[in-house]
Amino acid sequence: MKLLVIFLFISVQGFSQTDTLKVMTSAVCEMCKKTIEHDMSFEKGVKKISLDVENKLLTVIYDPKKTSPEKIRIAITKTGYDADSLKADPKAFKRLPECCRNPEQH
Amino acid sequence: MTNKFIILFLLLSSHFAFAQQNLTGHVYESINGKQVSMPGATVQSLDEAVSTITDASGYFSISTSTTSKVITSFTGFINDTSDLKPGTENKIYLKKAVSLSEVQISAHRQDLVLSTIKTANLETISSHELLKAACCNLSEAFETNPSVNVAYKDAVTGVKEIQLLGLGGTHVQMLSENIPDMRGLSGIYGLTFVPGPWIESIQLTKGSGSVVNGYESTTGQINVEFKKAFDKDQPRFYLNLFSDERGGIEANSIIKRKFSPYWSSMLMVHGRFMQNETDRNKDGFMDVPNNKIINLYNRWNYHNTEKLEAQINLKFLADEVEGGQVSTLNVSRLYKTAVSTRRAEISGKLGLLFPEKLFKSVGNIFQVTYHDMNSSFGDKIYNAKETSVYLQSIYQNVLWKTNHQYKTGLTYRLNILEQDYPGLAARTEENIPGAFFEYTYNYIDKLTLIAGVREDLQLNNQWVFTPRLHGKYNFTENTIFRFTAGKSYRRPYIIADHISVLASSRQTDIVENILAERAWNYGVNFTSRFEITGHELTFSADAYRTDFINQLVVDAYSDSTKILFYNLEGKSYSNSIQFTLNAELTEKFNFRVAYKIDDVRSTFNGKVEELPLISRQRALSTLSYSTDNEHWKFDYTFVWEGRKKLQFVYSDVSASAKSYSPTFFLMNFQATKVFKRLEVYAGAENILDYRQKDPIINPENPFGNSFDATNIWGPIEGRRIYAGLRFTIR
Repeated sequence: MKLLVIFLFISVQGFSQTDTLKVMTSAVCEMCKKTIEHDMSFEKGVKKISLDVENKLLTVIYDPKKTSPEKIRIAITKTGYDADSLKADPKAFKRLPECCRNPEQH
Repeated sequence: MTNKFIILFLLLSSHFAFAQQNLTGHVYESINGKQVSMPGATVQSLDEAVSTITDASGYFSISTSTTSKVITSFTGFINDTSDLKPGTENKIYLKKAVSLSEVQISAHRQDLVLSTIKTANLETISSHELLKAACCNLSEAFETNPSVNVAYKDAVTGVKEIQLLGLGGTHVQMLSENIPDMRGLSGIYGLTFVPGPWIESIQLTKGSGSVVNGYESTTGQINVEFKKAFDKDQPRFYLNLFSDERGGIEANSIIKRKFSPYWSSMLMVHGRFMQNETDRNKDGFMDVPNNKIINLYNRWNYHNTEKLEAQINLKFLADEVEGGQVSTLNVSRLYKTAVSTRRAEISGKLGLLFPEKLFKSVGNIFQVTYHDMNSSFGDKIYNAKETSVYLQSIYQNVLWKTNHQYKTGLTYRLNILEQDYPGLAARTEENIPGAFFEYTYNYIDKLTLIAGVREDLQLNNQWVFTPRLHGKYNFTENTIFRFTAGKSYRRPYIIADHISVLASSRQTDIVENILAERAWNYGVNFTSRFEITGHELTFSADAYRTDFINQLVVDAYSDSTKILFYNLEGKSYSNSIQFTLNAELTEKFNFRVAYKIDDVRSTFNGKVEELPLISRQRALSTLSYSTDNEHWKFDYTFVWEGRKKLQFVYSDVSASAKSYSPTFFLMNFQATKVFKRLEVYAGAENILDYRQKDPIINPENPFGNSFDATNIWGPIEGRRIYAGLRFTIR
């Protein structure tokens, strides 16, 4: 019986629905990658996150039951970066390391 | 004339045929059969007349009048050309390009890197590696390292000595950011004065080091890089708290401040307090000594990468270690040990860079240290003070082409050592000027040779010549062969290097005037990095030999009442072979396994014997696993130590029956939970609670004549459960 429950639990886990979202950010360097990936990985519903510094594209794998693309984009702005058409939260932007605040240097 | 009209007509008609049309659609990437919108992709008409960028949902709308074909492009993806139908929702799918950058992004950071780039056999231990264990200080930082052994030298001071190639830590040259450090009086205790959280990375070089750093490295070089004020990776504030089940508490705090684009400062504070007498094996002695330490490090950096780099470092330390018999013991007089240290240091660097000449630079280094150490082991007392000044200038340039580089310069050391111990000179003053030249030759990316020489004027006006040679040959980019040969010189600190001998009722006997130690070291290394079904593996094999020309022999074999100190007469060598395999099984799962044989022998009273208390064989394995996004990390270390020859006296028949220690293994485990600003970790060292049961010989009678707390081959502490946290503000 216990085994069956465990099995069911695993299968439910295995089939839990995830969606993938791609977001254009204003990240410029490896520091930015660290910051976004670290901070976003703690957002509710976010399963996996990876930023490609070269094209600034953030790939988010998330649980649509727990979050939404809108919420994810707002969360990105709160890490200090633009998310598609949404602008970065100015307060968070100020706190970013220097290299991440001067995109012209890169 | 008519032709022209026809052409014009054709042109116009074609223009009219493709009248202004609106092409719309979405750009997607197909991931596991699902379509994922791609924002930020460029959609451009085939004739490059118009272009647009997709919005957040991957949607685009483009008006063309010439063509219905568009090129869709995005960095890291393969360009797509498709013919779109106006008036419908077109779908464009982009495929990921497999490029070098892609590999780099997915490549996992490795915590212990066996270099295939450096000419010397170099292992870099990152600060991430240091987080895998409780790691309170530098000597403990090597507990997960395959090349370095960490061993107790006595059962009372709790100090662990590092061993490389089977030889004690004093044969390794220690450097703090390339300044010789943790030498002389602080050769043994110095490593415990470097708190783990201060360390940015450690570079471990096997075999003799560069002549630029001096004449001392016999078996290797360990350079410690501390966290830097100008490093943007460093948080503005860092706090680490740590406690173990015995009630030891430790705090580390790092504050960083930037004052201008160039000036920055950092203050590192370390404190440790342990006041709890435990005696689990009921021998009347504390298993772990009580300890109080305050350690400060303030650094000031001027960092202008184009012209000038300067730094000033200030360090202060106060350390008290008290061990021996527990206070509750009912005896007329307690046997106590105490080591009290005060240390102050100021050091600085000034580097001039020439932006138009990339290879040219001038570096100047100064360091002034004051070290005051008072120690007592029962009735035996060793007090010493050392003041040391070190100056160095390095000039670096290319000879005629950039593949012929050289470094040259001068060093000067003033060392004043005052010791209070029978048989030792009360005051020794050394003035050591020296000069070095090191030449590096590069033959395309295949061969690198580094040849270095230095000449130093040592004590008694004796010129000492130190030659070193390092070479590296790349079979391929990832398969390399290295070799090294070098001579070293070191003036031993007879008692300070072997302070643990005082924790015994045997008397020290300095038989003759002890000469400087001289040795040759030779080594070869083969390292290969390869991939098996997408898993990155690094394999490394080493063989090293150290041959002493002269050595300070510490003889515990010949006389049951004495430890004899004399100059080597005969052979003394160490042969060391090591195999290491690092594997990244998945992005989350790392595995390392290493096996080592150290055969260390010296001539004791005319007889070539194995050195006591050195394990002949050792195996180490580490496993580390992290979950998605590294929110959880698990680290496991397994160490197996082979038998060690015990210290015994040849005439003692009963002791020779059990002249070797048993083999044993140890396991450590640590789990770390990462939060947004906080990391919490907990773990256990020596999970199976393996201990050397009776580390002290004759503990009932420490003031008698057969007491000995130095015959240590295994762990004394037993299991230690600990927990800590790290808090950062970026």
